[in-house]
Amino acid sequence: MTLLPQDTLQQAVDSLRTPAGTTAYDSIWPGAAGIPTQAPSALERVMLADDKIFVVLVVVLLIWIGISIFLLRTDRKLDALERAVAERIPEDDDAL
Amino acid sequence: MKPTARAVDVRRYRIVRNVVLAWLTAMILAAFLLDIPKINILEHTARNLYFHVPMWFTMMAAVFVSAAHSIQVLRGGSLLSDIRALQAARVGTAFGLMGLVTGIWWSKFTWYVGTDVWWNFDPRQTMAALQLLIYGAYFVLRSAVDEPVRRARVAAVYNIFAAVTVPFLLYVLPRQLQSLHPGADGNPAFSEITAPVMRLVFYPAVIGFIGLFWVLYTQRVRLAAAKLRVTQDPEL
Repeated sequence: MTLLPQDTLQQAVDSLRTPAGTTAYDSIWPGAAGIPTQAPSALERVMLADDKIFVVLVVVLLIWIGISIFLLRTDRKLDALERAVAERIPEDDDAL
Repeated sequence: MKPTARAVDVRRYRIVRNVVLAWLTAMILAAFLLDIPKINILEHTARNLYFHVPMWFTMMAAVFVSAAHSIQVLRGGSLLSDIRALQAARVGTAFGLMGLVTGIWWSKFTWYVGTDVWWNFDPRQTMAALQLLIYGAYFVLRSAVDEPVRRARVAAVYNIFAAVTVPFLLYVLPRQLQSLHPGADGNPAFSEITAPVMRLVFYPAVIGFIGLFWVLYTQRVRLAAAKLRVTQDPEL
């Protein structure tokens, strides 16, 4: 291991410190000044509002839409299966 | 004897399915977008009311449908009644499992926040888990009988007894015991404390999820009826 000069080490430690009352995970993070390279886009302004709950809404909607598509596709396979069964097995063979 | 092709009115099924999918999409939007009162501890998790509680309402509806068809089996009904009883119990148990899991998750960040506890044998949760085990035994019992007509009758008798335990395990007993769950001793139930704006989403959510139960149940009935026609055995 290379030993860093004392002042370089101190700078590195200082860069990790954040002002009192904030943590590194806060949305407003002074330690990260300069990281947002542009003003928030329209999408970001919507999604970051209200504790970012809209991000969760979009996740839930994507899952729900995925499940719905799955359900509809299963129904189409079921329609095809019922047609095949009706064609190949006559009604009077029915166990019901 | 009823032809299998007409076990389900497919046209009605498609209409209900499309209405349910649109209805629940609107419900999810309302569940997230409407402002609700902020309550300590609960905060945004109060919105779980729209998703967790309808799981249990839906299971109750499924148990009712299942038991009604089991009674039909014993009154001399066809194997189609047995198919309906089994598939309602299957889908209802799936909703019950989702209710139990979402309840464990919700309680972790409210009742048990700041602890390592995930499960503390709260009476409400324990009774719900017991309920699911009773239905688990129904499926095991079915798998023990090979002959479809005999299986239908044996399973119908058990299923009626299983359904009778549901109101006691989910409503009566938890209210007699100390529990952190709303509706227990000294802990107000839904009717006294829920804000009007949340009722606006909650009741449609209950209707929507029961509708989703009907869609999934009917889909499985169609599949089981097709299987019966091909293999002479409806077990799915």
